[in-house]
Amino acid sequence: MATSGPMLELRAALPSFDESGLAPVPFDLRLMPGDCAVVECRDPHRATLFADLCCGMVPLAAGSVRFMGLDWQDLGDRQLNALRGRIGRLARQGTWVDLFGTHLNIMLPQLHHTTRPTDEVIDAAMTLGQAFGFPGLPVSVPGRLSAADLARAACVRAFLGRPDLLLLEDVSDALPADAMLPFLEAVTAARDRGAAVLWFARKASIWYEYRKAVNVHLRLLDEGLFVMRGV
Amino acid sequence: MTDGAATQPGQDAPDGAPDGTPCGPIRRRVLAWRARARPPLAWIGRITRHQVRFALVLIGAGWGVLRESLRPNSWRRTVRYEFRLSLRQVVAGGFLSTVFTATLAGLTVVSQAAYWLGFAGMAQMTGSILVSLLVREIAPVLVGIILLGRSGMLSLTEIGLLTLGGQVRAMQAQGIDPFLVLVMPRTFAFTVGGFTLGIIFAVISLLMGFIVTHATGVMNMSVWTFFSDVVTAMSAWDFLVIPLKFILVGFFVGLGSCMTGLLVSQDDTVATLMPRGFARGIVLVMIVNILFSLEF
Repeated sequence: MATSGPMLELRAALPSFDESGLAPVPFDLRLMPGDCAVVECRDPHRATLFADLCCGMVPLAAGSVRFMGLDWQDLGDRQLNALRGRIGRLARQGTWVDLFGTHLNIMLPQLHHTTRPTDEVIDAAMTLGQAFGFPGLPVSVPGRLSAADLARAACVRAFLGRPDLLLLEDVSDALPADAMLPFLEAVTAARDRGAAVLWFARKASIWYEYRKAVNVHLRLLDEGLFVMRGV
Repeated sequence: MTDGAATQPGQDAPDGAPDGTPCGPIRRRVLAWRARARPPLAWIGRITRHQVRFALVLIGAGWGVLRESLRPNSWRRTVRYEFRLSLRQVVAGGFLSTVFTATLAGLTVVSQAAYWLGFAGMAQMTGSILVSLLVREIAPVLVGIILLGRSGMLSLTEIGLLTLGGQVRAMQAQGIDPFLVLVMPRTFAFTVGGFTLGIIFAVISLLMGFIVTHATGVMNMSVWTFFSDVVTAMSAWDFLVIPLKFILVGFFVGLGSCMTGLLVSQDDTVATLMPRGFARGIVLVMIVNILFSLEF
């Protein structure tokens, strides 16, 4: 599904503080297909909440959050879930289900939301896994993997399946240095395909090498989201 | 035009009824009584709602499971995978416990019933008594307890820890509905598992009872005659009610365990979760059995 309008649009989106913990200030953001916005935020928890807000997980007191032109608040459960299946999310923690092996955790969104043949999904996951430094796909449960391998696996899962929006939380402290280049390549490839990217970083040095390709530089504070000039 | 002391709509007058009319001592007494009665009534309401909350959740979730299962779109690869995994866990995991318990039940209930009925000269009633006592009443309770202890508590802990650890929320963020991926397939796995283990229990307990009574010389008929007597003693209702009991016990044990796990609060720990889940499971097993005993 292609969209000619903004891929992600927050219009005076005022999160409900009681239900989210996010400061009740209006947020405005507009990301077009292919855009990359870097959001600097020192508090990883706040970044996670903002990513939740972008994928319609946070109830709003006012305003709207639209993804691919659709307002999250107007959608039913099935539509919400289907639309969230188009988002590739790199989360810092709490995303691994120890009931399944890591390989299944990686492929779970694709196997759930698409009818792509399983072998095709496995091949795509293997290719991405090798790009991020795995010899194949890790099959042990996530609890047995090191933080570095979990960060690699999280990258594979986020970029798998041509997502339309990438919400990339900062995993730079766990991601090995050799995986940074494939990460930037994957971001560029996704943007070339028309995906919008929202990249959360705790400090400027993390995205410094990619600064020329970044469209918007924002800072997420308790007081709201602010546009920054320069790096 | 009214002056500033006029009452607003819906607001009581300073000394009287909401419409501003002056009220007498009876009216005042009623109002005072109402004010006194409100807190205890609210407390009773809170307690009642708290007590029936899980029952209402269970009814809603049960309806949700049935409705979702009828949509072909619900049985996606991930849901089918979880169903297969859970079914294997429920049936294979509970098989040995069922065989062991059924053997014990056969050695005690069947052999004793056959012995004492033969002693009383009522050996022809062996079949009907075994059906009504063992297969219809005892087997669903024991199978329910095996399901609960062997697999229900596992599901409860797994889903409870996923909820407490934030993984359920993370699944929702990926557009994966935990009700669809965890609750529905597990509930159906328990349903199928309940029926399977129930039939295994009934067959093995009867067979073990027969072997013991035959070996001790209490019963001289062949195994085929014995099973034929049991089947002949079953009424048409028994053929419906017995499998239905196994199925419903499995369904509610599975659903109750999954929903208890999914509805944990942040204050919960495994220490608070497991006793609650076990108590609810036992109550559900009993309710299914008692309802059928009353009805039929």
